[in-house]
Amino acid sequence: MKQGKSNKTIYLIASLIIGTVLFFILDLFLGSVHIPIKNIIAILFGEIPEKESWSVIILESRLPKAIAAILCGAALSVSGLQMQTLFRNPLAGPYILGISSGAGLGVAIFIMGLSFLGVSVTGIGLPANSGMIISSILGSFGVLAILLSIINRLKDIMTVLILGIMIGSVITAIIGIIQYFSHDSQLKSFIMWTMGDLSSITNSQLTLLAPIVLIGLALAFISSKSLNAYLLGEEYATSLGVNIKKSRIIIIVITSVLTGSITAYCGPIGFIGIVIPHLARMISNSSDHKILIPLSILLGINVLLISDIISQLPGLEQSLPINSITSLIGIPFIIWIILKNKKITNLN
Amino acid sequence: MSKQINISSLAVGYDKKIILENINLVTETNKMIAVFGRNGQGKSTLLKTIAGLLPSIKGTFSYEGNDILNLSEKERSKLLSIVSTTQTDIGGITVKDFIAFGRFPYTNWLGINKEKDYQEIDKAIKLCKLEVLANRNYNELSDGEKQKVNIARAIAQNTPIIILDEPTVHLDLINKVEVFKLLKELVANHSKTVIISTHQIEYALQICDEIWLIHNNKVEALSPTEITNSNKLTEMFNDEIISFDKATQSFRLK
Repeated sequence: MKQGKSNKTIYLIASLIIGTVLFFILDLFLGSVHIPIKNIIAILFGEIPEKESWSVIILESRLPKAIAAILCGAALSVSGLQMQTLFRNPLAGPYILGISSGAGLGVAIFIMGLSFLGVSVTGIGLPANSGMIISSILGSFGVLAILLSIINRLKDIMTVLILGIMIGSVITAIIGIIQYFSHDSQLKSFIMWTMGDLSSITNSQLTLLAPIVLIGLALAFISSKSLNAYLLGEEYATSLGVNIKKSRIIIIVITSVLTGSITAYCGPIGFIGIVIPHLARMISNSSDHKILIPLSILLGINVLLISDIISQLPGLEQSLPINSITSLIGIPFIIWIILKNKKITNLN
Repeated sequence: MSKQINISSLAVGYDKKIILENINLVTETNKMIAVFGRNGQGKSTLLKTIAGLLPSIKGTFSYEGNDILNLSEKERSKLLSIVSTTQTDIGGITVKDFIAFGRFPYTNWLGINKEKDYQEIDKAIKLCKLEVLANRNYNELSDGEKQKVNIARAIAQNTPIIILDEPTVHLDLINKVEVFKLLKELVANHSKTVIISTHQIEYALQICDEIWLIHNNKVEALSPTEITNSNKLTEMFNDEIISFDKATQSFRLK
């Protein structure tokens, strides 16, 4: 690699890390109650602020939300990057192709299914939290497996979008049927989940989510060599010594774990997964996953923190749903991608 | 074990549908072998099978006594490299980085190239005379240039066998001849065994050491002279409109 290019990447990564710290603090700073920055930093370092209630606001509400934003941004971006490479399709992403809906179906079956056993989700702590993650991951995996079996036969990437919309609609229909047969209390827990966003996450959920996401991201980075080989297409990848069947399963397992676990607690968050990998490729001008994965993680974190900041800008009575913000940022970007290359054949 | 390539009772096809069976061929290594056959006769299926891209239905393909079809992808990638007709679209990568993909089987889990890898990459660039293009963007190249870069990638993979499926199909005359001459040089000076499927029968007859002729669901190994002196090519193109002229070693319209 040329010296200039790798230097540029280092600067880029450094500035994104600085951005992460700044936006993280800003995200903690903003909210309906004004807390001076000095006190926020004091609370983060375990000291006692001027008002004790500030400590609760930061530690129980704003900090979990900011950490959730970081985990979401990183996980969804890497998920999208892996899907774009695996499917060789620039419009692939966890939300648009219905992976998030699959996760929703998993959660619906879990919450409503429990009602048949006479157990209420709200009543049980850790088992419910882990059950939701597992069912959500399984739901994502199911949709990914279906997509993988069909997508290779579709030459036109626009057809893939339609397919994603169809899968999403079918799943919504199935969820509707499940809801119809559910008890009121179960229905309520599920509706609460569908409205979930970053702020609904609890500290105990975070202690489960954070390690899962970190392991997923580490595994994704370890797979970067085989992801690179996928860029040449499956035949060349095989000829270079990649066991396609095995690596394909590893990649979709990582993708389902990342998307599923995030969706389980934060609800479906759209478009980050498509947009961020493109941004990463554009600004690094590279297709090497050793660079793209860390870059997507950092860009995803920054964009999601910014989205969360926008959602609670001063002057707003209540915070806006994060999904609306990411859609408003994401959709124009996707339209721009489509217009830019009418015939999108490659990933750049 | 002698330096031989040995295909024995091989059957190839998709799923359960056999396209060619009972293929038995023995040949010395370090040769340039062309595979002839009309469209749909199974050239690609045969090459994909011996390259390990398609599972074989039956039989073996061994190189110096090792059955290549039974190796793992990783072991096979050090013995055999491929170049196919399909053009790869890949953005954000220089020609040199593309050729570096050839070192994939030898690098660590992160795919970092070492000194030895860079030597092999430079050697491949030199052999294919791609020095001028080395820092260009792969996607900006013409089809002919891309194909040469692809061959350079296979050379950097440093395998004793290189299999090429119609590598010259999109190329103009000069590029076609250059690719053939480059492959010949790999056989002559770098002790490679090159197996190439092609419709460029007239060039292949001049340049290859052996021909595998696929006709009527059979595969036969013949020398170029045997082919020219027989009526096999005219038979192969079993049409009223074309015949092979032995004297000029070329096809004639009837």
